[in-house]
Amino acid sequence: MRLFSRTWVLISALMILAAGTALGSGFSIFEQGAKATGMGGAFAATADDPSAIFYNVAGIAQQRHMAFYTGGTIINFTNEFRGDPNDVFASGTTGHYDRHTFIPPNAYAIMPIGSNLTFGVGVTTPFGLRTNWADPWVGRFSSRDANIKVVAVEPAIAWQNASGSLAVGAGIEYRRARVVLNRNNALPGSNPFNGRLSDVANAYLSSDWESGTGWNAGILFKPGTWRLGAAYHAPMDIDFNGDLTITQISTGVPAIDAQVKAGLPPSQGVKTTIPFPAMAQIGIASSAIPNWDIEFDITHTTWSRFKTLVVTGDAAGTTLINRPQNWDDTMSFRIGANHKVTDDWDVRFGAVYDENPQPTAAVSALLPDSDRVGVSFGVGYRHGPFTIDATEFVLHFKDRSTQGLSTGGDPNGVYRTDANLISLNLGYRF
Amino acid sequence: MIRNNSIARIAVVVLLAAAIAVPSFAARGSANFTTFVAIGDSYGAGYEASSLNERHQIFSWPAIIARQVGLPICQPTATVTDVCFAVPLITYPGLPAGELVLNATGSGITQIPGSGGPAMFGFGRAYNNLSVPGYTIGAALALTGAESTSGLGQVILRGRGNEVDQALSLHPTFIAVWLGGNDFLGAVSTGRPSLLTPLANFTAAYNTMLDKLIAGAPEAGIVVGNLPANFASAPLTARLPGILLNPTTNQPVIIGGAPVPLIFDPGDGNIQPLPAGSIVLLSALTRLQQGVGIPPNFKTIPPFSALPLVGTPLTDAETITPAEQVQFATAITAYNAAITAAAASHNVALADIKSLFDRWAASGTNPIVIGPFAFSNTFATGGLFSLDGVHPSDLGYILFANEFIKAINASYDVEIPLAGIAQLFQNNGAFFPDAGPGALSVPADVAAQMTSIFNSAKVPAPPKRRSIH
Repeated sequence: MRLFSRTWVLISALMILAAGTALGSGFSIFEQGAKATGMGGAFAATADDPSAIFYNVAGIAQQRHMAFYTGGTIINFTNEFRGDPNDVFASGTTGHYDRHTFIPPNAYAIMPIGSNLTFGVGVTTPFGLRTNWADPWVGRFSSRDANIKVVAVEPAIAWQNASGSLAVGAGIEYRRARVVLNRNNALPGSNPFNGRLSDVANAYLSSDWESGTGWNAGILFKPGTWRLGAAYHAPMDIDFNGDLTITQISTGVPAIDAQVKAGLPPSQGVKTTIPFPAMAQIGIASSAIPNWDIEFDITHTTWSRFKTLVVTGDAAGTTLINRPQNWDDTMSFRIGANHKVTDDWDVRFGAVYDENPQPTAAVSALLPDSDRVGVSFGVGYRHGPFTIDATEFVLHFKDRSTQGLSTGGDPNGVYRTDANLISLNLGYRF
Repeated sequence: MIRNNSIARIAVVVLLAAAIAVPSFAARGSANFTTFVAIGDSYGAGYEASSLNERHQIFSWPAIIARQVGLPICQPTATVTDVCFAVPLITYPGLPAGELVLNATGSGITQIPGSGGPAMFGFGRAYNNLSVPGYTIGAALALTGAESTSGLGQVILRGRGNEVDQALSLHPTFIAVWLGGNDFLGAVSTGRPSLLTPLANFTAAYNTMLDKLIAGAPEAGIVVGNLPANFASAPLTARLPGILLNPTTNQPVIIGGAPVPLIFDPGDGNIQPLPAGSIVLLSALTRLQQGVGIPPNFKTIPPFSALPLVGTPLTDAETITPAEQVQFATAITAYNAAITAAAASHNVALADIKSLFDRWAASGTNPIVIGPFAFSNTFATGGLFSLDGVHPSDLGYILFANEFIKAINASYDVEIPLAGIAQLFQNNGAFFPDAGPGALSVPADVAAQMTSIFNSAKVPAPPKRRSIH
């Protein structure tokens, strides 16, 4: 009972910390363990620490000791938007995120039962987004701040055969999430009293914490020095209820303000649905070279489920936001190596190519995604029951131009992003 | 679908081939803006809402081009050795009188009382922006500001020479010209074709001007612009039909199945109905509202009976008949042909201002969309024109300047960024402090006003020193 209540304290704390940012394609976060991240996330066929609950749940079956594994990833962004010099709306403007450090956490516990089963619980942040533009931001009529917080709790169980050459596992994922969207509304033309362009209202949409339930499953086949792993995370839709708060911004001209006030929608309850994608990963790994584990993974993510972002208001059942997304499914390619240098020390290398799901027309201030390449370097240290894993991961987002396709409040220009990630995990094995 | 794609691909290939085959036009000189000068008229001066003042002079099309190429606007305290774009700043509320503004409720237009004066009259060299409101091409070649008839030239040209000579006195590396509007505007705005500059004079003056500029600055790049040719583009000539409207509904009064024409006096006392298709100038609005132009037989019919001047004809100067419209259109088309020919023969770049105004003319039904905003030429509220109905707003001048920038970019193979409208956000002063050379500082009172009315700014900006740079 005591352990149980502590777990919930931990989960609550993690939910508060969970402030995501899109590091995998779309708004997924693939960094859920420092060892796996050190191998570039190519971990489905290795899955030999408790983070297997995320990377390939079958992998916990091969772990025959009760263990804890917890940590997080310190993500630091540098980003810049530069207005298209041929776009009369955005030319001459720049933008960047106000807040650019995020720490998505993770925690896992596993417990073998008998000689073939392992039970585990993981708390992860598999998705998340924060695009928090610093004022002055020309795209504020599209989005000033978007924040999707996600935390997942996953009890899982896995079984392996007597020889350990085959393992299967599955888990139930309980996912809680919250969405905050914040943008300004503009006077549709210029203010006739002063010829200026005016912000007239702020629209702040904040959902409750809502939940959904899904599942995942994995298989791990280890016939010899080669290993094959496959993992699947089911898709999930989460329906959100929340509140839209409209705050009028005075233009300083009473005559205009009165008209604006008459035309503003009331603050009201709102509903939206976010379709989270399915993720399927297959990996092949080899231990043919002594003291080296080398793995190559491919991940397929069904981002094409994200067709539109629709927010409906309670007041008159009206659609308040309808933004076509029309995302595509994505593939990512990961290669990683773990080299056991001594009995105590491992070093790791990894590389990632991650496709983005956004067609150019959907690139926006809300989420300016792009293909990204990354390289990782990590170390692992074992001492008695303790394990420490640390990884440095550098992720470069390709410059993403809107190619003049943005309309309305979304500015045309080029989004440039780089991220530096430091993953740290501490493990304890009983 | 496949077939369409194939056709599209073929079309692209053909277009690319055509683009490669046609050598791009390379204008004389180069796009070197070390010493940039502009000559022009009220548009070039940044005249708005019947006034020339510092709040809008910094939005004149030459000043906007200067900022886009990285030239700061000269402070009033600047010296002749400062590298900056000198504008003949006039303090608010401006000359010849204060600007027109909407009254507090938006129900009418008032004029800011008082007037301003030149803020840097003693500046020791010619201004970079030598545009003088009201000047025709002929005036730009003749008036020096010393003449009693030189109008605002007295504070812009200051007796130091005409626009062209003063421009050359700066040894310009790049010259931008927009002249010719006043060769027809006076005629159009008073409905008098007799005031049009004769085509031969226009053509000769335009070519003389270019000859002189090229002789005096043979290495300089030059851009000129053609002229608006659409009555529907500016509120002055776009809005008022020459027929009787019901003042309550604003709908035409129909009698016997047809609208009732207003009456006018063509100048010979022969009062007659306005021919169908006539334009009543916006400048007649106040008199229209008092009943002017309404035929005398409506004197006893409500609601017209309440108007004091029913039966009084519109004047010739307040109307443009279809015959006059043809005369104006013919003249402007010929002027544009002369400008195009002069630009080609002198190998100078040509900005397509005519097309810009054609788009503005259609903006009532097809608005000019920029980001989340839509603008039109609707009087007072559309955003493109200032309250005098003839001169663009700050926004309109930005779009005007961009046509010149596009022409420069195309002719000189350079990439001057277009001027963005973000500078018109009310939070500009507080929120766009580091936008680089394109950043705009505004007079302190304007900045304070902008800051105070943008409530989403968390911390009000401290008061700024009065500065323009």
